[in-house]
Amino acid sequence: MSLDPLGVWIAAFLTLACLSFLYKDNPFFRFAESLFAGISLGYYIGIVLNQTLMPNLIEPMRTDFALNWDLVVPGLLGFMLYMRFVPKVGWVSRYALAIYVTYYIGLDFTRRIHGEVLPLMGRTMLPLTRLDAHTLVSATFIVGVFSVLVYFFFSKEQGPVTRRVSRVGIWFLMISFGAAFGFTVMGRVALLIGRLNFLILSWIYPTLGIS
Amino acid sequence: MAGFVDRMLSLDRRWIFLFVLVSVATPIILPIGLPVTTSGSTRAAFEYIENLKPGDYVWLSFDYGPSSAPENDPMAEAFMRQCFLKRLRVIVTALYPLGGLGLANTSVARIAAEFPDLKYGEDYVNLGYKDGAAAVMRRLGQDISGAFPTDQSGTPLSRIPMMQGIHDIRQVKLVFTAATGLIGEYWITQVHSQVGTPVIIGPTAVSAPKYYAFLNSGQLEGMLSGMKGAAEYEKLLRAAYPQLATFYRTTKGFTATKGMDGQTVIHTVILVFILLGNYAYIRSRTAKKRGADG
Repeated sequence: MSLDPLGVWIAAFLTLACLSFLYKDNPFFRFAESLFAGISLGYYIGIVLNQTLMPNLIEPMRTDFALNWDLVVPGLLGFMLYMRFVPKVGWVSRYALAIYVTYYIGLDFTRRIHGEVLPLMGRTMLPLTRLDAHTLVSATFIVGVFSVLVYFFFSKEQGPVTRRVSRVGIWFLMISFGAAFGFTVMGRVALLIGRLNFLILSWIYPTLGIS
Repeated sequence: MAGFVDRMLSLDRRWIFLFVLVSVATPIILPIGLPVTTSGSTRAAFEYIENLKPGDYVWLSFDYGPSSAPENDPMAEAFMRQCFLKRLRVIVTALYPLGGLGLANTSVARIAAEFPDLKYGEDYVNLGYKDGAAAVMRRLGQDISGAFPTDQSGTPLSRIPMMQGIHDIRQVKLVFTAATGLIGEYWITQVHSQVGTPVIIGPTAVSAPKYYAFLNSGQLEGMLSGMKGAAEYEKLLRAAYPQLATFYRTTKGFTATKGMDGQTVIHTVILVFILLGNYAYIRSRTAKKRGADG
């Protein structure tokens, strides 16, 4: 897929403007930063309007109101949220916000318990009846979970035993932070590779006539 | 040696930035072609897709934006290539607000052009973006048309042939989410745990450590961890499909395999910097201690 030459030049300029912050703060970086913030907001409003509000709310009510009259309720709740910009009736928005928050608490509660807490707890309760390589992994797993939990138990002052156990927990935490840091470096470098790949192969090479 | 240690400790960080820039740019200009080894989680993902039957429905969700496109684009596109070669029916969505739909549209157009015999609406469909991620997924468990009454261009699902044979996400054989942030987690905890649909995730490298817990608990069928995972997946595709081996060898587009040259070089450079920095720090601490003792 060929890229529009003007678009490539704009993208290259904005990429360099963002990278210029690594040297020092400057007006080009601030321009790119402000432009990104503004465009992101405009894009978000447009995409929600076209992809969610139009097909899921406005079009169904416009084409068959008798069948979709119940959509008036979520539509009204959404409208009520904006009442906060009218000081006299700002309190109305709180009711919509309360329903919104309550819905997501209910949704998230079951999602977390059913999808995260119980399966991950189940994975921690491992059989230690056989003596093989898996048993060693399971034992390490259990020691790790137990010692990290002891480290994060702040309700009682640590004694000589719990202090040693929490010390083991710190080691497990440090290893996991190290792994997370390694992955983070890989992720950030991937973004740099993507940008430099664009600058070199889609901007510099075509500009210099290199195929 | 003391001079070297002092220089290391007072080195302007911009020299390091420049060094990183040169280290990443060099393999792009002069590709090395370093080998990639595959991991168990990527092989599990590949095998799971391989074992699906032609005509099965699979769901591909673009749950990322341009900020992680170099990691997620290659995996999403490689997944589409495997599905199209296996004649699986692909339903595409985007649940990430900032750019997910634009990336989905671009990738679908690019891959569909590689498979001109496939028809939109019969072999694949793009349902577009919907706001609310977790709430959308909950609705997908009841009926797809409740969440997505139309495709991304406004055509009602009732007029799309391949959507006639499917009512809710229970009938989908696999969800593949190329994800940044929390949306990938929602597919596991909302769709897999509550509806039972198998999930494979392609997270960014930053998110990958979190998903190993879900992989170990059996809630994921496989995982592609960042650019490395995508490069592994491309390698498995090249080995299984000769036509893709030719494509990945000759394409001028960006692939994860190409990106891995830069990753290997820069990781070596970072390791050297870590060793040098620690050496300089330990030397300076020892010197200070000696000074205090003496």
